[in-house]
Amino acid sequence: MTSTTSTPLSRTDTLRPATTSAGRTSRRRIRKDLLRSRIAAWIAVVVIGAFGLLPVYWLLATALSSPESTFQFPPKLIPTDLTFSNFTALAENDQLIKYLVNSLIVASITAVLSVVVATYMGYSFSKFRYRGRRSLMHLVLASQMFPQALLLVTLYAVFSSFGLLNTYTALVLSFTTFTMPLCVWMLKGIFDTIPDALLEAASIDGASRWRTLHSIVAPLAAPGMIAAGLFAFVRGWNDFIFAVTLADKEKQTLPPGLVSTYIGEFQTAWPELMAASLVVSVPVVIAFMFLQRYLVGGMTAGSVKS
Amino acid sequence: MTTSGISRRGALRMFGIGALGVAGAGALGACAPSGASTSSNGGDTKSKNFDFTSWSLNEEAAKPSIEKIIAAWEKAEKSKIRAVSYPYNEYLSQLTLKLGGGETTGAVHLDIAWLAAVAQMGKLADLGSVAVDAGYTDVALESGKYDGKQYGLPWNTGSIGVIANAKLLEKAGIKKHPTTVEEFEAALRELKGLGGGVVPYAAATKVAQLKDIFPWMQTFGCELLDGAKVTIGDDASIDAVTWYKKLHDEKLIAADVDRFDARALFGQGKAAFYDDAIIGKGVTAAQSKDKTLADAMQPMKRPVLTAGDTPQALLWGGVIAVVKGKGQDAATEFALHTTTDQATVAQYFAERALPPSTKAGLIDPKVVNDTFSTQWTEKITKTATGSPFWQFAQNAQIEEAVAKQVQAVLVGKSKPKDAMKQAGEEVAALIKR
Repeated sequence: MTSTTSTPLSRTDTLRPATTSAGRTSRRRIRKDLLRSRIAAWIAVVVIGAFGLLPVYWLLATALSSPESTFQFPPKLIPTDLTFSNFTALAENDQLIKYLVNSLIVASITAVLSVVVATYMGYSFSKFRYRGRRSLMHLVLASQMFPQALLLVTLYAVFSSFGLLNTYTALVLSFTTFTMPLCVWMLKGIFDTIPDALLEAASIDGASRWRTLHSIVAPLAAPGMIAAGLFAFVRGWNDFIFAVTLADKEKQTLPPGLVSTYIGEFQTAWPELMAASLVVSVPVVIAFMFLQRYLVGGMTAGSVKS
Repeated sequence: MTTSGISRRGALRMFGIGALGVAGAGALGACAPSGASTSSNGGDTKSKNFDFTSWSLNEEAAKPSIEKIIAAWEKAEKSKIRAVSYPYNEYLSQLTLKLGGGETTGAVHLDIAWLAAVAQMGKLADLGSVAVDAGYTDVALESGKYDGKQYGLPWNTGSIGVIANAKLLEKAGIKKHPTTVEEFEAALRELKGLGGGVVPYAAATKVAQLKDIFPWMQTFGCELLDGAKVTIGDDASIDAVTWYKKLHDEKLIAADVDRFDARALFGQGKAAFYDDAIIGKGVTAAQSKDKTLADAMQPMKRPVLTAGDTPQALLWGGVIAVVKGKGQDAATEFALHTTTDQATVAQYFAERALPPSTKAGLIDPKVVNDTFSTQWTEKITKTATGSPFWQFAQNAQIEEAVAKQVQAVLVGKSKPKDAMKQAGEEVAALIKR
């Protein structure tokens, strides 16, 4: 008895430590795996973060450096002689302020125009059935396939013959040419997610199609419209080649303005250029900060259908 | 709800529509007025008001000096000059587009390397009759010519040559500038011996600036272009690139260097020689912490292969051309005044250190008292020549094709003989295009 009772006990006694050891090993392995994956995740975050943030840091560091320090070899990661003179010089440059105003005007009008036109086009593609609808949709998308440089020469010739060169109109129309297709498809995707039943209910209640779009559909699609507007604004804000070709000094926007001012035949004024780049990116950053939730929501809204 | 996915049929339809779109765009462009078909950009040639197009009109360093010249002209002539500007790196493409479109009129500032490409458009006036007695130097006058006609009035005529740091040479015990390639190599080794990360010769090794190899090829006896025949690929060009590779392997020149890097290295006393235009002195000295560097900078004749050979240098500078049509007469007078009026020329030199193009301008006290400039003219510009490839609109592609092959040699991807043969063939194909 003793032996029979003692055997399972002893088996249990001998088994327990074995089980605990296996469990510990397994737990350790899990912990190790977890640690490894965490370390890998952190390394990925740091590397990706460095890719994204180091250029911004370098922009700031150069903007706060003197020209002599900028050309120091080997370069210093942390600037030692900080100066704000590159920023104060900006405020004194009237021409740069003119470029800034031009950029604001052109990018804002482009954003509004793109959203207004794309809303009607997107709504039409999404909710109406008519002959040639799909072809038109593809035509809109096909315009994205042309190299911009190819269209530039054509647009230049067309604007020239209409006497529109060196006007805001030329810039707004050319920017809208490129923002429109994506805005239309983005908004069509959003309108697709709005149930037809809602439109039918509005119709039964006596709302006209016009009223249905403006009072029922548009408020629901507002995040998408904001996202499309932001995309168009950024496109208009950043464009270089159309702005330099279609507008003269009086109507030119910031990208060509900055290049003309700071990148010369013999040298580039890097600290001033970096300071100016930093300042001009502020409006876009602010716009993103306020509207980012709409942007994310708007960009993904059309991806899942009800 | 409709599906927004694109089927194969849809994609084909889209391509079809795309093709139609391209055709439509082309048709629209074709309907637009073509300036290129006429030789004049129209308008009243007698108009007192005209445009002046220059990349310098936006650059902070140059703008005030040029605006001063424009303001003085407007006041004296009671006329209006409209200033037009594009960034330097975009200038040629923008000018070509707008000159062809008939938008550019009046006076146009051109880099001498671009003159041929622009002159070929047939829009520029022949200024031979006004240039002949204006007192330009022969080298300057030649820089404004294309196909025997004077399309540009030379504004500034200089060259790209070698600049030496006298302090470093003295430190290395080098008493005089090396005159032959052999002496130059020996000097580079002496300088390398100084240690401290000194790059003896901050020669261009990046594609963007490797066109600097051309004067070295010419030094070794390659003509680059003999009539219509491209000579890159001959023994002389192979010898030049083999030599360049040797300097690179012995770390007498450094990898990944362009003009900006070279200036930075030179400015910090880490390079004893580098190639630059005459204006490089002011730029490099300004970005250096060593305030005595400017005094140590000396123009040097490019070493020759055999004593007695002519030192090679690339001509460099700017001209003012005039577009046929609106304001042509006044723009011609303005170009002549800006490039030859003694007070204007001297003042412009004082403010920008760009050498004048007239004989009288070169002996003006403001110029003569600048030792660096006078030495530069004597040692470098005197024997400088333009690139034979400037006459081709594809000049930039030609330079890039050769540069890529030279870089392939430097990084060990290609042998000098193969690379130069390949470069020569590419250049010949580009010229034929």
